[in-house]
Amino acid sequence: MKPTAFEYFTPSTVQEALQLLESQGDEAKIIAGGQSLVAMMNFRAARPEALIDINNIKDLDYIREEEDELVIGALTRERTLEVSPLVKEKCPILAKAITHIGHLPIRFRGTIGGTLVHADPTAEIPITSVALDAKMKIAGPSGERVLNAGEFFLTYLTSAIEENELLVEVRIPTLPPKTTAWSYVDISRRFGDFAIVAVASVLSLDNDGVCKEARIAMGGVAPTPVRAKEAEALLAGQKITDSIIEEAAIKAAESDDVDPDSDYHATAEYRKAMTKVLTQRGLKEAWTNFEGSK
Amino acid sequence: MKIEGTYTFKAPQQKVWETFNSVEHLQEALPGCEELIETEPGKFDVFLKIGISAVKGKYKGKFEIADPNPPNSYKLIGQGKGLPGYVKGEAVISMSQEGEDTILSYDGDVQVGGLLAGIGQRMIGGISKMMIGQFFKSMDKVL
Amino acid sequence: MSGEKKKWVGSSYKRKEDMRLLTGRGTFMDDILLPNMKHAAILRSPYAHAKILDVDISEALKAPGVIGVVTGEDVKKASKPYPCGVTIPTKYYTCAVDKVRFVGEPVAVVVADNRYLAEDALDLIEVDYDPLEAVVDIEKAIEPDAPVLHENIGSNIYNHRFFKYGTDWDTLCQEADEVVKWKFNFPKYAGSPIETYGVIASYSSFENSYVVYNNYQGPFVNHALTAMALGIPENKMRWIIPTDIGGGFGTKTGIYPYCALMSIVAKKTGVTVKWIEDRREHLLASATCTDRVTYIEAAVRKDGKILGLKDKAMDTTGGYIRPPEPGCAYRSTGNHTGAYDIRNLDREVYIVATNKGLTAPLRGYGCQELYFSTERITDMAAAKLGIDPAEIRFKNFVQPEQMPYTTATGGYYDVGNYPAAFQKCLDIVEYDKMREYQKKARAEGRLVGIGLASVVDPSVTNIAYVAIGKTIEERKNERDKSGSGEAAIVKVDPLGGITVICSTNPQGQGHETVISQIIADEFGVHPDEVVVDSVLDSSDRLYSITTGSFSSRFASSGTTAIVRASRQCIEKAKKIAAHLMKIKVEDVVMEEGKFFAKDKPEKAIKLRHIAGAAHWNQYDLPEGIDAGLFGTSLWTMPTSRPPDGKDRVNSSNTYGFVAEAIVVEVDQETGEITFLKWASVHDAGTILNPQIVRGQVLGSIVQAIGGSMYEEQAYDEHGQCLTASFADYLCPTAMEMPKVDVDHFESPSVLTALGSKGAGEGSSMSVPPAIGNAIADALAPLGVVVDELPLSPSKIWHMIDEAKAKTN
Repeated sequence: MKPTAFEYFTPSTVQEALQLLESQGDEAKIIAGGQSLVAMMNFRAARPEALIDINNIKDLDYIREEEDELVIGALTRERTLEVSPLVKEKCPILAKAITHIGHLPIRFRGTIGGTLVHADPTAEIPITSVALDAKMKIAGPSGERVLNAGEFFLTYLTSAIEENELLVEVRIPTLPPKTTAWSYVDISRRFGDFAIVAVASVLSLDNDGVCKEARIAMGGVAPTPVRAKEAEALLAGQKITDSIIEEAAIKAAESDDVDPDSDYHATAEYRKAMTKVLTQRGLKEAWTNFEGSK
Repeated sequence: MKIEGTYTFKAPQQKVWETFNSVEHLQEALPGCEELIETEPGKFDVFLKIGISAVKGKYKGKFEIADPNPPNSYKLIGQGKGLPGYVKGEAVISMSQEGEDTILSYDGDVQVGGLLAGIGQRMIGGISKMMIGQFFKSMDKVL
Repeated sequence: MSGEKKKWVGSSYKRKEDMRLLTGRGTFMDDILLPNMKHAAILRSPYAHAKILDVDISEALKAPGVIGVVTGEDVKKASKPYPCGVTIPTKYYTCAVDKVRFVGEPVAVVVADNRYLAEDALDLIEVDYDPLEAVVDIEKAIEPDAPVLHENIGSNIYNHRFFKYGTDWDTLCQEADEVVKWKFNFPKYAGSPIETYGVIASYSSFENSYVVYNNYQGPFVNHALTAMALGIPENKMRWIIPTDIGGGFGTKTGIYPYCALMSIVAKKTGVTVKWIEDRREHLLASATCTDRVTYIEAAVRKDGKILGLKDKAMDTTGGYIRPPEPGCAYRSTGNHTGAYDIRNLDREVYIVATNKGLTAPLRGYGCQELYFSTERITDMAAAKLGIDPAEIRFKNFVQPEQMPYTTATGGYYDVGNYPAAFQKCLDIVEYDKMREYQKKARAEGRLVGIGLASVVDPSVTNIAYVAIGKTIEERKNERDKSGSGEAAIVKVDPLGGITVICSTNPQGQGHETVISQIIADEFGVHPDEVVVDSVLDSSDRLYSITTGSFSSRFASSGTTAIVRASRQCIEKAKKIAAHLMKIKVEDVVMEEGKFFAKDKPEKAIKLRHIAGAAHWNQYDLPEGIDAGLFGTSLWTMPTSRPPDGKDRVNSSNTYGFVAEAIVVEVDQETGEITFLKWASVHDAGTILNPQIVRGQVLGSIVQAIGGSMYEEQAYDEHGQCLTASFADYLCPTAMEMPKVDVDHFESPSVLTALGSKGAGEGSSMSVPPAIGNAIADALAPLGVVVDELPLSPSKIWHMIDEAKAKTN
């Protein structure tokens, strides 16, 4: 379990990194936290000829609030986001979802940019970003472009980032606390393991407790995180009750996009059943916490 | 692992059959195909470079179009080996005309072995399905 | 002997090993650096079953930094296959020769300047395989059309034997009121020590001898077998095991083939070779317990008395069979009927070949497989008869007045009070209260279950058990095998310091600490002053075929050897003291490290002066006393006899007892398990160090939780291993460990010097059945039967789903 030989570069600006991506070609890989890449390299499953280490690009590490968004640099560590008072106040579902990522040492190294580009359909930040319609800013040789989460994730472990591009920033909408019910729930074999199924729920409510808009993202049921569109449509305009929660959960699991695979740890039928159970439990938790905080 | 599914092509069955038997088109559509050489009628050597994200590998393989029953069905038998492991599989490809479309269905078994089987079992099923889907999408473009 | 109150033994004296282990200053295999040492990497088969047509190493030989490459052809020329305790002539070489028979089997070895370059060269080796169909299912492996792994034996059956004890089964069934039968599946799982295998081998052509550093646990039969495989006299192979080993749990016992393989590599390449196994290699190709299919029947009377058992147990040792197998099936012979007074037993044993990784005496060795079926069928019999599962156990226990008790299969239980120990466990878990709680929970529709297990924990294996693999006819012309010896040397140096060497080389169990406590009590010194050298060196240490640190033997057998060596040394010291004080030996008293005449305690001589006399003034020693001051012992337990003419054997020597009571709740929607309450009671005889024993118990519990719910060396139908990394081979973490109330019930052994029995394996044997019983009890209202492990939430959910579909 020793990696193959590689060239190693440490750019200190985004421009330098982009130049290196261009000159090194498609056998070069960006390394930030390394929490996914290094394991793959040690197994020799990944054999990049060059590593472009962006950990020195300090101006990619920031969190700030701009109007109704949190603007986060791609190099911001998961742990930083987890404990940030700004994140906990303005987008608490992000901080909560991050607590589900592996174990503490992993979160000290892992970055928001890295986990988004890695595009694991069971990963917490991708799922949450799909629930929140986050926007990804990508830098390339011809300038910058912005994709929303729905366009960013293409399939298993594949994002829309081209070989010569770098994800530089993520914009996530803030959640008004008095009118947002939210939750992040998952089920996994052990504490800290990859989720078998995970559900992020965000409900925007009016002053009478009627759900104006529901956003529900599910992970582990398709090649990318997917939104439970039928369930969201069902909840829109409804008062939240246990029975509507259950109806929505059933709709979520029956969605065409929910097409999980079987693997050694769980069957496809189990995953489908857990989609319903977790959506139901997640919506219930969101509602109960919301009512409790009033 | 079992693989099965269908794909609908908006083209007549004869055209689909010919495309699926043409070396040129197969080479274009096979994901990561660098070279495809027909060594004997119906038998091919193939060189692929495929993978997901950073996990890429070069594979050297052979496949065979067996039991041809034009333009309805044939059996595809293949195997490939590379540093990340090996793949072996067979599938029966059948086609039928429905109106102006051709429905292609495949039913078979794929074995993945070596490194990737041992460390990647979580995603192998899904990724195989996806690559098969990619292949059909590419064939669709060709058509 | 064992009844005395001791000052140090029995106290939680702080572990001496911990400071160096916790600060990274231990000496493990990878810490050993020898001059001009090179590094090896192993090319392993990606196929479960294939012919090897060609191995082309030409490109690898040209790669940068490469010293040499060894293939199966070289290994075939340089060694003989390992002999094994079965009559069928399979050939197990340490590298694949004409075929590969499991994924991960070594196919070639590259030696290079460092491990990175060696792995680069592996990529350049071209192996031409002709893949064959694989078989992984035990029952499929013996069907007539199954692919055969070893052509020279013509089938996949390594071993097949029948045993009958007591009344024959058909007669017994007529006496019985009920016959309960079921089929159980036990899984294949590993030990996952933090430290993997490591070997450093070097060869001297001048002496035709080898020096092999390794991290092996024992038994040291491996030393003899490795020498035999290499075709050299045993004294031409020096084995050195460093002070620290990072865990073993049985994976570093049995045959450790890499010692032979790296020796061959060292000889061919002419350099000192170091090989450290990586985690993926360990998960694929080190060793696991056997998986087992058991068909079991219990003939019972309506009052709950079990009249007899009939079982057909089918094990697989994987692609090859290697020593000490067939022990998986036979190590438990003496305690097959466990804690119950069952005189009638009908056994059929199969050990078959499958294209899976190989086995070794994993913690529990055969007993978890055995007790999973016997404890589950006991609960099923209780359910059939309408009797509480605790009550059926009380009905069947061997009673304390029956001790010493010889089992129907030849096991000799010297002491024990199973009913009292079991009752203690029930009291701690508040059994009656928990049954009330369960009633209420069931009324609310919750799935709460209580699982019990009560097992006999055998330790100090008698190597005679291996002979049971052969029939009485087959073993007639062989030398009998027996014994369970452990060795100790206790030396007092010229300045009076005590150093101890014991053949039970530790893997982190705290032997240094316990040995220091024992010596402190024997000699009246402080344990801090005692030095224990844990290095094992075959040139200068005492050892034997049976010695090592396995089957929980240190606590009973190892400590007895230490006590005997100490007392031999003290006897000599007393003789010298008598001579110096000019009194009779019988009048010498030793207390707190001082020797004095029994009526003159104020005129005492210290041990230091006695040692001084023995070393510094050798002329003035009494008649018949040699210079120096030391004691040695290589002690085998007197109960280690060979098997008799009726296939009865005392397969172990000390027999403890473990009771588990586990209360669980199953989440109906997700299949997840929550542990509500857990009591675990152990009779390991005299407790030598409560802190250390507690660590052993909790460790065996968490490993057994692993095997029952999380861990598995899993294969697909083509023999591909699906769990070759810790992402998929799931070891429980601290978060999965429930709170367990551990307690003890000491019935000291009469066979060992301190009354201690083995404590290391215990719960690894009782927890899988207890968890199985608990989940079965929880799901009983749904009509679900639990008959396999591991139980993941997905599996449990499907069991519930199927049961609900049946009732609809």
